[in-house]
Amino acid sequence: MSDDLKDILSNLNKDIEQEKLLDYLNKKLSAAEAHEVEKQMADDEFMNDAVEGLEHFKNKQNLSLLVDQLNSDLKKHTAKKKKQKEKRKLKDQPWLYITILIILLLIIIGFVLIKKHLD
Amino acid sequence: MNKNKYQHITDTELLNRFYAGHDNEWLGILLERYTMLLLGVSMKYLKNEEEAKDAVQQVFLKVINELHKYKVEYFKSWIYMIAKNHCLMKLRDKGRFNAEINDRALSEAVEPETTNNFIEKDKTLDNLAGALLQLNKEQQQCVTLFYLEKKSYQEIAQQSSFSIMQVKSHIQNGKRNLKIIMDRMSGGNES
Repeated sequence: MSDDLKDILSNLNKDIEQEKLLDYLNKKLSAAEAHEVEKQMADDEFMNDAVEGLEHFKNKQNLSLLVDQLNSDLKKHTAKKKKQKEKRKLKDQPWLYITILIILLLIIIGFVLIKKHLD
Repeated sequence: MNKNKYQHITDTELLNRFYAGHDNEWLGILLERYTMLLLGVSMKYLKNEEEAKDAVQQVFLKVINELHKYKVEYFKSWIYMIAKNHCLMKLRDKGRFNAEINDRALSEAVEPETTNNFIEKDKTLDNLAGALLQLNKEQQQCVTLFYLEKKSYQEIAQQSSFSIMQVKSHIQNGKRNLKIIMDRMSGGNES
C-alpha cells in the first residue's frame, strides 16, 4: 500500500519506448500495460500532450512511417553539416600542400640533374 | 539501426558529445528520440497533420541552428518548451491564439519536476493518505483506482460514470491538489 502511495508523488518512471506508445495508441496493450503508459503520462506533461495530439491522427497505423520520414529528413541535415566540415578539414590539411611541394621540387631537381648529365 | 546502436547512451551523454565537438550527428541521434513526441505535441496545438509535420521539421532546424548557443542541461524539458512555443507562435500568427511568448524560454533549462524528497519520510506517507481523503469525491475515486488499484483509464471509465477525458482530468487535478495539500502540511509541520 505504501509503495503504491509513493507512486502518486514519484516521477521516476522510465521513458516509454516508441513501439509501446504506438501499441497504446492502437489499443493493442493489456490493461496493465496501458496503466504503465498512463502512469508515465500523468507524470510527464510532454508525453501527455504528445499522446493527446497523436490521438488526433486519422490513420495511426501510418504514424511510424511518418516518424521514419521525419527522421530521414533530419539525417540529411545533420549528415550534410558533417560532410561540409570534413571537406573543410581536408582543405586545412597542411601535409597535402607539403607533399605537392616536395613532388614539384623532386621533378625540378630531376629535370636539372638530367639536363646537366646530357650537357 | 542507429536507434539501437546508441540506445545505451543517455540524453546527457549525447548532449555532452555534441557540445564537445559540435558534431551534429550526435544531435541527430538525440532528436530522433523525440520525433514522435514532438509530432504529437505539434498536432495537439495545430490540429492539422501537414502543419504538425512542418512544425517538427522547423523545430529540428531551430535546434540544429541554435542549440550550440545555449548550455542546456535538461534536453527533454527544453525541447518540449521549444516545440510548444513554436506552435503557440504559429497559432498567434494565424490569430487563432493570443499567446505571450517568452523569449527567455530558449535559454532556460527547466529542471524536471521532482518530488522524491517527500518519499523518504514515513510521515509523508501518513500525510499522503490523509491528503487523499481531502480531495473531492471524483478526484479521490479516480486517483485511488489509478494509483492504488492500478486500473487503466479505460477500466476506470467503465467502472465509473466518467468519460476517459474526465478520468484523465480528475487524475491530473487530483495529483496536483495532493501536492498542494502536502506542501501545506509540510509547511505547517515546520513552523
